[in-house]
Amino acid sequence: MVTLTIDDKQVSVAKDATIYEAAKQVGINIPILCHDKKLKPFGACRMCLVEVEQMKGRLIPACTTPVTEGMIVRSTTPAVEKARKLVLELLLLNHPLDCPVCDKGGDCELQNLAYDHKVIVNRLNDEKFHHEIDYNNPLIERDQNRCVLCGKCVRICDEIVARGALTFMNRGIETKIGTEFDGPLNCEFCGSCISVCPVGALLARPFKFKSRFWALTKKKTVCGYCGTGCNITLGVKENKSVVTTIYDENQGFHNGQLCVRGRFGYQFISSDKRLLTPLIRKDGQLVQAAWDEALSLIASKLKEAGSAAAALATPRMTNEELSLLKLLMVKQVGTAHIDHSAGYGHAAVSEGLGKSLGVAASSATILDVQKSDLILAIKTDIYETHPVVGFEINMAVKNKGAKLQIISDKRGKLSRLPGANLLLNKPGSDVALLNAIAKVMIDENLAVAQPTPELSAALQNFTPEKAAPICGVTADAIVELARAYAAADKALILFTSGLAYPGADAQLAHAAANLAILGGKLGKEGSGILALQEKNNSQGALDVGFIPAQGGFDAQQILAGCSNGSVKALFIAGENPVVSYPGQAAVQKALDSVDFLVVADLFLTETAQLADVVLPVCSFAEKEGTFTATDRRVQKIAPAIPAVGSSRPEFQVYGELIQRLGGETPASRAEVFATIAPYSGINYNEIGEEGTFAPVCLKPVQVVPVAPVTTVENGKYMLLTGAALYHCGTLSLKGEGTMAVCGEAYVEISRPDAVKLSIADGDQVKLTSAAGTVAVKAIISPRMQEGVLFAPYHFADAPISSVWSGAAVTGVTIAK
Amino acid sequence: MPNPFTPIMQGMKITLGHVFKKPVTLMYPDERPKVAERFRGLHALKVSHNKAKCVACYLCPTVCPAKCITVEAGEDANHDKFAAKYEIDMLRCIFCGYCVEACPVDALKMTGEFELANYRREDFIFSKERLLEKK
Repeated sequence: MVTLTIDDKQVSVAKDATIYEAAKQVGINIPILCHDKKLKPFGACRMCLVEVEQMKGRLIPACTTPVTEGMIVRSTTPAVEKARKLVLELLLLNHPLDCPVCDKGGDCELQNLAYDHKVIVNRLNDEKFHHEIDYNNPLIERDQNRCVLCGKCVRICDEIVARGALTFMNRGIETKIGTEFDGPLNCEFCGSCISVCPVGALLARPFKFKSRFWALTKKKTVCGYCGTGCNITLGVKENKSVVTTIYDENQGFHNGQLCVRGRFGYQFISSDKRLLTPLIRKDGQLVQAAWDEALSLIASKLKEAGSAAAALATPRMTNEELSLLKLLMVKQVGTAHIDHSAGYGHAAVSEGLGKSLGVAASSATILDVQKSDLILAIKTDIYETHPVVGFEINMAVKNKGAKLQIISDKRGKLSRLPGANLLLNKPGSDVALLNAIAKVMIDENLAVAQPTPELSAALQNFTPEKAAPICGVTADAIVELARAYAAADKALILFTSGLAYPGADAQLAHAAANLAILGGKLGKEGSGILALQEKNNSQGALDVGFIPAQGGFDAQQILAGCSNGSVKALFIAGENPVVSYPGQAAVQKALDSVDFLVVADLFLTETAQLADVVLPVCSFAEKEGTFTATDRRVQKIAPAIPAVGSSRPEFQVYGELIQRLGGETPASRAEVFATIAPYSGINYNEIGEEGTFAPVCLKPVQVVPVAPVTTVENGKYMLLTGAALYHCGTLSLKGEGTMAVCGEAYVEISRPDAVKLSIADGDQVKLTSAAGTVAVKAIISPRMQEGVLFAPYHFADAPISSVWSGAAVTGVTIAK
Repeated sequence: MPNPFTPIMQGMKITLGHVFKKPVTLMYPDERPKVAERFRGLHALKVSHNKAKCVACYLCPTVCPAKCITVEAGEDANHDKFAAKYEIDMLRCIFCGYCVEACPVDALKMTGEFELANYRREDFIFSKERLLEKK
């Protein structure tokens, strides 16, 4: 610790702190344009000049100067004020004074500083810039004329997003922020650059001219897309509609950093396509109905079905709602058939980690990523499914020196990170590869824990030499990876699971857990296993126990039951199986043939169109409750806007149904929350903004994983399913922002294959499997291996589920 | 005791004096009042180059103490900002003139128009078309 004096206040800070950070600690705000908490000091704007007693004679930039013992700093002397005023005058020399039409007005740091320092007239005079404004993409507008060259956008794109889409161009007065070849912005549109821009040089186009900043109500909540559990601030206009997301560098573990979905995918909340009233099918047509009619119909049909009723729920609902739906189905209706995420989507955690770790949860948290020495990422898709975790990995690698080891069937952004070691394996061979690593660890005496005889015996067939041809990697690479993993003091295994990743099943989780157990990596900081689950409350759905109880059908059996008549009534809460579950034809048939189908959703989805009763329910922005992030961080949400139309929160809907079926409705959400066993130590009312981690008590067991055998008929391509960076489930299809940059189904194909089949980028191709055919756009991607195709599963207009029936690897033919 | 006729005479003197002065009463509506130059009557949106000068900066609805101004911005073909909707609810307006004062582009003024009576409530809501300056 170093002690110094700032404006007569004593402050003790860490020795690597800067004067700026030290001042902030004692509540002295030094004006600055080029600083962000997350970014490294840069010193571009020269606004933070201060006087230091020991360095008299010149002014010192506070943001880049490290503190020293006994330093005496003055931040508001006349000389400092004069210098700052001149800096502002110089900035305003070229900055256009178009605040009335600039969306940044009211939130603009330059505007605020000009006001604070009373820069009313400019003693200097110069021409304004005449840069062309970039309207080339639908999300980010770049107006270089307003730029103050603080470099924050350049740095965040490089340091955190690891995209490097922006850079300084030219010299001197002609300096500007440029893109590659000065063309249109070519990036992943996460909008991080917009979030840190202190002026209106970078603006969010979906929000353009929608409202002034000061007219927005800022509502803090938790993002409703993936399982990362990012905190976001919604900008609400007239207490009615969500019009933007607002950046707050002090929010959440991620310091306000968001991905493209979180930042630009909010439009579904206040979409005009939202369901406004309940619908009941009469004479084959869905017609508007009153809540009372709909609920009494549902209650009577569920009662009639009794143990032949079933429910599929989306893990996007709150813990309390899932709990209540479970109560409704199990206790009041009397059925054990409840499930979510198509059954296999949660198997990696519910069954895999549940058996291997003794608890259906990850041993590590997202906070461990940056504390780790070695990160073993299974599939580069981690970046696509959980981009903010991807940013954490990038920062761990670049700032903390963590080694990144990747096992993946395709290259990706993660494998381009500095020092990343990628083992490009054959699709479907992840378990075999992990087993081989375990085998090496045992054979070379690198294992800390003694392997059980069963495991040792089972691993006999997985020597690196035997595994190498199965996995398509060299034996040496396996041995090296095993040695690196075992040698790392803190090693973290990450994998992603969910609807699109049937390969991330219980076996993969067992195999991964065995590595952690053998290597002694469990129960340590920065170490262990972190399963990245797909939806915002996937972990919560498991903690609540929204999985089939003893004798209950899982999701696949429920759908089969619908077809064969053993399920009479199906309650689908938020899921969209017609699009997102594999085997579209079978799912469609099941939902067509079930006697009574209720769908509670925000939109009239493809599934809702088949329903007998459709209930309009609230989005995450309209309700109260808790979400559990993938690392068991329980976070509370509060309504940002009133319910859209006559939609109701599911909590109310299920409560009323319970009542109609003769049960007693719990009085409050807190009461329901208290019944969730894994959260027994948490008080609902005391969950703060940061959330609370529910404890994970590990009882590790070495489970023998069964490596799947993946074969594809000769001449067929291996089709992998997965998630696109721009989407999460099917909800993001209702977000205009995400649809603007990724709006149609596609398949990624390697260049050699494309050349062989004479397919050009953007061509329409037909994928055919045993299950069916689908026509999608082809994208030639350098990240694909030869013979492997990749298709995201989100899109409704060309659903990949029409060729994919739930296998990790599907054999398909591709033709123009 | 003072003379009881004195106050009466004094009053009569004033009355008599007014008989010879110019009358104050205006025979409205046959006669029109002369409105002062800085009178704050009905608003008008100034026009320049055949379009409203207003850039929809929202300063007038922000400053308006009566909250009678509704603005909605739009983006035109040149990506410029313009007022897609500009409405003043005259029933709420207190004619304080803050909106005119706040306008950074001098797009708004207050005219001498004071005859704002109407038969229906909705007629008091002045849309952008009604507010545009008549030349």
